[in-house]
Amino acid sequence: MNLDKVISGFFIILSMTLNFGFFYGDMHTIESHSKYELFAAIVVNLIATILKLGDKTQLGSVLLATSLVADIQLIAAATIWTVAIYSSGVDSTIVGMVVSLSGGALLANITSVVLYVGDTIKSKR
Amino acid sequence: MRNNSLFIILQKMRIPFLVIIITYTIAIIGLVLIQGIDANGNPYKMSIFDAFYFISYTATTIGFGETPFTFTYPQRIWVTFSIYLTVLGWFYGIGSLVSLLQDKLFIQEMQKAKFLRQIKNLNEKFIIVLGYNQITKKIIIKALEQGLRSVVIERDKSRINDLILENFTPTVPALNSETYSVRVLEAAGINKKNCKAIVSLFEDDALNLKITLIAKSLNKNVKVAVKSTTKNHTENLKDLDAQIIVNPFSIISSEINMALIAPNLFKIEKWLYKLGNLNANLPLFPKGLYIICGYGRMGKKIFEKLNDNSNIEVKLIEINKNKDNEFTKNEISHLVFGDADDKELLVNIGIKDAVAIVAATNDDTTNLSILATAKKLNPEIMTIVRENDLADDLLFKNANIDHIFTPSKIVVNKVTNALVNPLSDIFLKQIIKKDNIWASELISKLVREIDENPLLLEFEIGEFFAPEICEYLANKEILFLSIFATSLYNHTQKNNIVPLLLQRENDIMLTPSWENEIKIGDKLLFACDAHAKNDLEYICQNNYEFYYALTGKEKLTIFKRN
Repeated sequence: MNLDKVISGFFIILSMTLNFGFFYGDMHTIESHSKYELFAAIVVNLIATILKLGDKTQLGSVLLATSLVADIQLIAAATIWTVAIYSSGVDSTIVGMVVSLSGGALLANITSVVLYVGDTIKSKR
Repeated sequence: MRNNSLFIILQKMRIPFLVIIITYTIAIIGLVLIQGIDANGNPYKMSIFDAFYFISYTATTIGFGETPFTFTYPQRIWVTFSIYLTVLGWFYGIGSLVSLLQDKLFIQEMQKAKFLRQIKNLNEKFIIVLGYNQITKKIIIKALEQGLRSVVIERDKSRINDLILENFTPTVPALNSETYSVRVLEAAGINKKNCKAIVSLFEDDALNLKITLIAKSLNKNVKVAVKSTTKNHTENLKDLDAQIIVNPFSIISSEINMALIAPNLFKIEKWLYKLGNLNANLPLFPKGLYIICGYGRMGKKIFEKLNDNSNIEVKLIEINKNKDNEFTKNEISHLVFGDADDKELLVNIGIKDAVAIVAATNDDTTNLSILATAKKLNPEIMTIVRENDLADDLLFKNANIDHIFTPSKIVVNKVTNALVNPLSDIFLKQIIKKDNIWASELISKLVREIDENPLLLEFEIGEFFAPEICEYLANKEILFLSIFATSLYNHTQKNNIVPLLLQRENDIMLTPSWENEIKIGDKLLFACDAHAKNDLEYICQNNYEFYYALTGKEKLTIFKRN
């Protein structure tokens, strides 16, 4: 067992599950989407990104790219939400925007997990 | 060798980044969870953004105060805790980044990246020089004078600093590398089209051989200039198609031989190497008894050459009886073991009757001392010496010695000539087969028609140097060599210029006559004065001047009459 693999696998999968947890629910009602879950998703995503930094292999660079995509989407969602609270107010269009952005991030996270699992299956050790 | 510096930063910054994110997260979660009181006394909870904002300016020690409302005591306790947590995390991150920038490995990677960038942007012709020292420095300078750039790979860091202080213009990129491996040579750009040659002049023959092997397998078209001091290695190098193999000792011995048999040839060679002019005194090597002190690589070569001459007798002195190589019978009959600096030994061997003494050991002090002793015993004797270290130049010049041979200078001349002026190198190889009379005729012709120190000009009839000639020849017209001698003041007169060599593919013509036809792709070597050189370049490149040289009329372009 490789502790490194455990930690990075944990964060990569946790970032996907948290992301899914936030995304799951009615598209336009704010009640079904917790801001704390978004916050947790962002933090775990950032940690997953950092764990992938500096890996020179081909797979490592693709993993890093997917993670960066997820980061950007989630941070954009959080920014839109924050700006909306302090200016126009959160209506159903804003919620729709935030949730769809996190949906995009979810796709990136799924890609990342698929690649990660694929690599693990291929590995001979 | 890829660019690793970015990856080093990323890898080493993993933990600091993680620390920052985790400490921020803990502090933010605490602030969000703890209840506060707003301006009207109502309970409220901080939003995530408020908490992030507060922690951001607290962790970076900017400190705007308590926002959005004054904190309650539970909040303040948490903030106190988070200040220690986040500020420490932040400073740890910054500290790691700063120490990374001073990291040796990182700096080395940055220099490597810079070197690779320089090589990538190098678009002129260049040579790769391995090792930076007195000899290669001269080669670099001479190459730069001819518009040939250099790239240096050196093992020793302090030598690289010397090179940087030298301030070559244009710059000479230098790479510090422990080994001369395939990857290092690739990084130095041996695979580039404009890489013309690689210069490897190490004392270690085996290393030279290895580099030749690598260079030839990486790029067949690159010329290899390599030093070899033994017969065995020279043959190996020839098998690998190394174009320029320099054995300073064999060059010295053939120079001495040349001076004996054909002093005029020796004079021409000195002029080609820009070591003397054509009116210099003839180096006169008398016939008689020669004493060679020190029977090593150089002594052996000289002995081989001198022994072929019937009216020269040779005596050898060697101090070390147990030298690794075994002596042949012929050598033993000439050989005396002992200290050449010993007066008795010199007298016994016949110094009083000797005409010349050669000090060829690898120690400068010994050489000078032997010659001083010999001069005392026989003031008439001609002295020949081997100078090993260029730093001793002054000593040798003041020692009143007849002929000084410096292997390192010979290597410089030979290599630069072969790299920068390939035709004059070919010319030199050809004339060695000629005799003294031929040489004296050539010298008197050069002095009569040009001057005592003519310039050398070599070029190829091609688009680059002679576009006008090329265009004319491409139209199936015929031109003769004499066009190059035409004076642009009066086309019926000739400039001071003498053709030395014409190379057409593999055919080489020495001193071709003016009536020779020229073809595209011919390579020509001329001796001329500055004025003739100027005119020749005009004829080759300027439409109007070429027309004048060809027809003797001014070319009319505005009122064209066809």
